[in-house]
Amino acid sequence: MKLRTTAAAIFIGMLAAMPAKADKLDDIIASGTLRCAVTLDFPPMGSRDEKNQPVGFDVDTCNDLAKVLGVKAEIVETPFPDRIPALVSDRADVGVASTSDTLERAKTIGFSIPYFAFKMVVLTKEGTGIDTYESLKGKKTGSTSGTFEAIALEKDVKAWGGGSFRPYQTQADVFLALSQGQIDATVVTNTVAQATVKSGKFKGFVVKGDAPYVTDYVALIGLRQEQGLLNYLSLFVNQQVRTGRYQELYDKWVGGGEAPDLTVKGVYR
Amino acid sequence: MLNYTFHWRPAFNALPDMLWGALVSLQIAVLSMVIGVVLAVFLALGRQSDNKFLYGFSTGWVELARNTPALFQIYMTYFGLGSFGIHLDSYVALLAGIAFNNAGYLAETFRGGLRAIPHTQTRAARSLGMTAPQAFRLIVLPQMFRIVFYPMTNQMVWALLMTSLGVTVGLNTDLTGVTQDLNVRTFRTFEFFAIAAVIYYLLAKLITLSSRLFAWRLFRY
Repeated sequence: MKLRTTAAAIFIGMLAAMPAKADKLDDIIASGTLRCAVTLDFPPMGSRDEKNQPVGFDVDTCNDLAKVLGVKAEIVETPFPDRIPALVSDRADVGVASTSDTLERAKTIGFSIPYFAFKMVVLTKEGTGIDTYESLKGKKTGSTSGTFEAIALEKDVKAWGGGSFRPYQTQADVFLALSQGQIDATVVTNTVAQATVKSGKFKGFVVKGDAPYVTDYVALIGLRQEQGLLNYLSLFVNQQVRTGRYQELYDKWVGGGEAPDLTVKGVYR
Repeated sequence: MLNYTFHWRPAFNALPDMLWGALVSLQIAVLSMVIGVVLAVFLALGRQSDNKFLYGFSTGWVELARNTPALFQIYMTYFGLGSFGIHLDSYVALLAGIAFNNAGYLAETFRGGLRAIPHTQTRAARSLGMTAPQAFRLIVLPQMFRIVFYPMTNQMVWALLMTSLGVTVGLNTDLTGVTQDLNVRTFRTFEFFAIAAVIYYLLAKLITLSSRLFAWRLFRY
């Protein structure tokens, strides 16, 4: 009798334990909506068109991801500093927002394999006398707070000992400050620089040379413990490149040749 | 909050940086108060003036300072003046913005304080042979400050909290600036913001308590 009770208890216990807890990937599929945190003041990756609709490389990437998941995409506009809080507080499921995959950040969130790579360039105004990265020494500089290029630039400005560095909250404020002369130059991603100069919104903006930083690989982000989702995101990025969709989106939004190589030579992912 | 584990140990390693930031915040708050009080006395007088220009100028200032967001005022001192080619440093722009706001609010407080002092006080002083400025400085002002001291303390706390708007004009040395820097670098948002909130709370309490002590020493009969 006792044995039978024990056996029954174990059986019931197993049953209760059997259905594995639904993870984020299950939740997204079940809910029918994929909520992507996208930064929309970062053209051509994310911005708004004349009708105020979100457009850009990141927006299309989110739509592609939603399509393969078989769900509807929902864009959650998220400024750079709020990307991780948006995930943690469950306002978004994944971040498609050009997030540099630093080790410091990986302590908090999970990264897929890189889905894009940036080179940094010096953006300045005509008449400042700046023509290379080195000539930024002693000048007033600024960038978007907390971005890859802001951290690298601030470090160099501190090492040079002269000049100044100002972090602004949005990319738009950086351009405003540059156009007004609050700062002499900024370091931005090549894509943003091109898009901004091309837009003609700011008079006299010119790109003057590359910034000698290591390539800024950016990845999709999800919660650190959602391995199922992160695994899916990595495979998704791989498939985007494999099927040529990556190059297609690059041609559409950036243009001008081959899309950046997403591999690092000499090491496994 | 289930999917977030707090990392307090590394967060507390940044505490010295945050405390230096708090010192900068406090410095801006104190300076903006000193500037604000001086300006407010003149604005309060301007509001009572018969001179049309003085009245218009000070009324305009008070109206603008009290009826627009502080964020807007600070943004305007930086980017607004910047578009006319006047480039204030982030620190100076924030200080000027808060001082502008302080002066506007305090001017109204002071005007109320001045009205609470009976005219007979001035008349008595004048009949003792004081000049009009002497009577104002030696008799009216000290009594006014006694009346408006607690509202001033409020404004001081308010000024401290307003320093957090400095991040919008590129300030990264005050408490919010330092916190935001740490946040974007590590993404440990909740730890750093929680610590910052506690520091702000303690600073605000410190202001209230010290002003109470100050008042107790200063305004004894």
